[in-house]
Amino acid sequence: MSRTVLEDAPAMPALFARAALTARGRGGDLPDTRLAREGVQVDPAQLAGYARVCRFPLADALPVTFPHVLAFPLQVALMTDRSFPLALPGLVHVRNRIEVERPIGVGEPLDLEVWAERFAAHRSGATVDLCAAVSAGGAVVWRGRSTYLARGAHAPEGAPAADVEVSVGALDRMAAQWRVPDDAGRRYAKVSGDVNPIHLSGLTAKAFGFKRAIAHGMWVKARALAALSGRLPDALTVDVAFRKPLFLPSTVTLSTAQVSPGGWDVAVRNAASDTEHLVGAIRPR
Amino acid sequence: MAAQTRQAAIVGGNRIPFARSNSAYSRASNQDMLTATLDGLVARFGLQDQQVGEVVAGAVLKHSRDFNLTRESVLGSRLSAATPAYDVQQACGTGLEAAILVANKIALGQIESGIAGGVDTTSDAPLAVNEDLRRVLISLNSAKTLPQRLKALAGIRPGQLVPEIPRNAEPRTGLAMGDHAAITAKEWEIGREEQDELTVRSHHNLAAAYDRGFFDDLVTPYLGLSRDQNLRPDSSLEKLAKLKPVFGQGEGATMTAANSTPLTDGASAVLLASDEWAAEHGLPVLAHLVDAQTAAVDYVHGGEGLLMAPAYAMPVMLARNGLTLQDFDFYEIHEAFASTVLSTMKAWEDPAFCKEKLGLDAPLGSIDRAKLNVNGSSLAAGHPFAATGGRIVASLAKQLHEAGPGKRGLISICAAGGQGVVAILES
Repeated sequence: MSRTVLEDAPAMPALFARAALTARGRGGDLPDTRLAREGVQVDPAQLAGYARVCRFPLADALPVTFPHVLAFPLQVALMTDRSFPLALPGLVHVRNRIEVERPIGVGEPLDLEVWAERFAAHRSGATVDLCAAVSAGGAVVWRGRSTYLARGAHAPEGAPAADVEVSVGALDRMAAQWRVPDDAGRRYAKVSGDVNPIHLSGLTAKAFGFKRAIAHGMWVKARALAALSGRLPDALTVDVAFRKPLFLPSTVTLSTAQVSPGGWDVAVRNAASDTEHLVGAIRPR
Repeated sequence: MAAQTRQAAIVGGNRIPFARSNSAYSRASNQDMLTATLDGLVARFGLQDQQVGEVVAGAVLKHSRDFNLTRESVLGSRLSAATPAYDVQQACGTGLEAAILVANKIALGQIESGIAGGVDTTSDAPLAVNEDLRRVLISLNSAKTLPQRLKALAGIRPGQLVPEIPRNAEPRTGLAMGDHAAITAKEWEIGREEQDELTVRSHHNLAAAYDRGFFDDLVTPYLGLSRDQNLRPDSSLEKLAKLKPVFGQGEGATMTAANSTPLTDGASAVLLASDEWAAEHGLPVLAHLVDAQTAAVDYVHGGEGLLMAPAYAMPVMLARNGLTLQDFDFYEIHEAFASTVLSTMKAWEDPAFCKEKLGLDAPLGSIDRAKLNVNGSSLAAGHPFAATGGRIVASLAKQLHEAGPGKRGLISICAAGGQGVVAILES
């Protein structure tokens, strides 16, 4: 295994451009490399913007989903490297699991490490997990696992079966209705750095095969968690499956159900068609 | 501090007729309406240049410049400028909560007299600059150098010229209050016809009360209005049946523009005092504010209806006073929506709800409809959010006084944010 420590966060627009240019001719197994950054300090302005866009209260602890935006540029750098077997354009985020050991203070220096694992066979292609570990004071306090589906791709011989489902209960009671405006993708891109063109405008989304721009899955997840602010335990696991794309603009509903002390099931669905965008399970650790 | 508490007396009230939104009061601000209402009260009870203990009032939709709305209204009124004042805000519970706060200070002997009130305008509403533009302007304001200022100005976009308009929606659920009420109406299987019946009764009762002069010493004409503009004395089931539902979806939708309260402008005020103060001033005691209770429900994730909190507050207050729901001569259940009144009463009658949600061995039981909102309520009068409490307290106190000593009245008001305020008055 090789481990590379980066001084700064990679520049995302350049990475996405490079990803588009180097999409062809990839293959093989996952690279055995890890990318890391050490002593990362959270930018208060970015955090405030993120909290506002996702509706988290601005507090002295990071929102549960925020470390993802710290680690994501490293994951993109890993995926755009020539050694990565799948082309980034066309990858679909289908599942995201976050494990939080304890709340992370805004001022804590954080060590980030990302890697890829679990190249798995899916009925319509292959999946790969982009993992992240965030450490503070020498201990891992946050783990993230994003599962991406590459349609039409092939996992290597002997690969395990993909695991993209999250099971939840009935969720038949609406807790909130969100009007998601057509600039929701641009707003989240600005505060998260995820400038994937499929989220930015109808035109750029069409170039990648979507009829309209789609909301960031991680924004939908963050907003669902923000809606439960004050009701979640400090140490928790949040496992969500992203089902159908949330086209912009849309009106969607959030349904919640408490399943145990500190445990919740959530679903985000289209208000008109009931199309399921996200289902998730939040459990105390 | 007083060794013993005493019950605060309700001396009387005053309000201006309630106007439909963007109509008779479209040019009047909250401060204009509250000042006019206070002056009407001053004139009615001879309070010119007098200092009352405190004036407590509020508005739900409020301009940021109105941070001291009540004090500014007092300064513009004929009350002594030495009268202290403060603002409260508890959504539609504001007016009743203000009366409770004044009554509690009187009960504790901290003040001898006080005025509780409320005002709201949906016409002269506080439009805010677009949230993005606001942030640009804030950074422009804090920029120290020309390049910083230019950078801030570069953030301005044409779309930001669209202002933020206040919506009658719950911030956490994104649903209009009517949509919430429709969900509750469906859960409690409240039919269209019973809602329309309640609505017609509200109009007829209010019209009859005007006709018999009941409001002669409760309402002061303002800007050309002498009666509530929303009042339709000739309201009938046949007419209401023609209306299309505006809240709820599909076949089961029952809530119309008639059996839901319209957006309204108006203000109200109530004079409270100790019995001694009233006697010294040669003023009557219409009733006493005996007790009050608030409650809140989890309407976001807890599965309870947004406007169902009064159902929870009621048994707590009744138990503390050793009373049953039937021990009252008059009931004032605020008609935010006809379905809200009906859902609340149905909940009190429901053994399962009373056992599981309220923790009671037996249901609270039913209310004699002949005693309910006998002088009309919000469906007919309209509902300028913070002004409704004062309208109800003054009207009920007068009704109790007319009925004779020892009569009891019950008030129940639901409020945004899943809150409820209930109170007991006794003559």
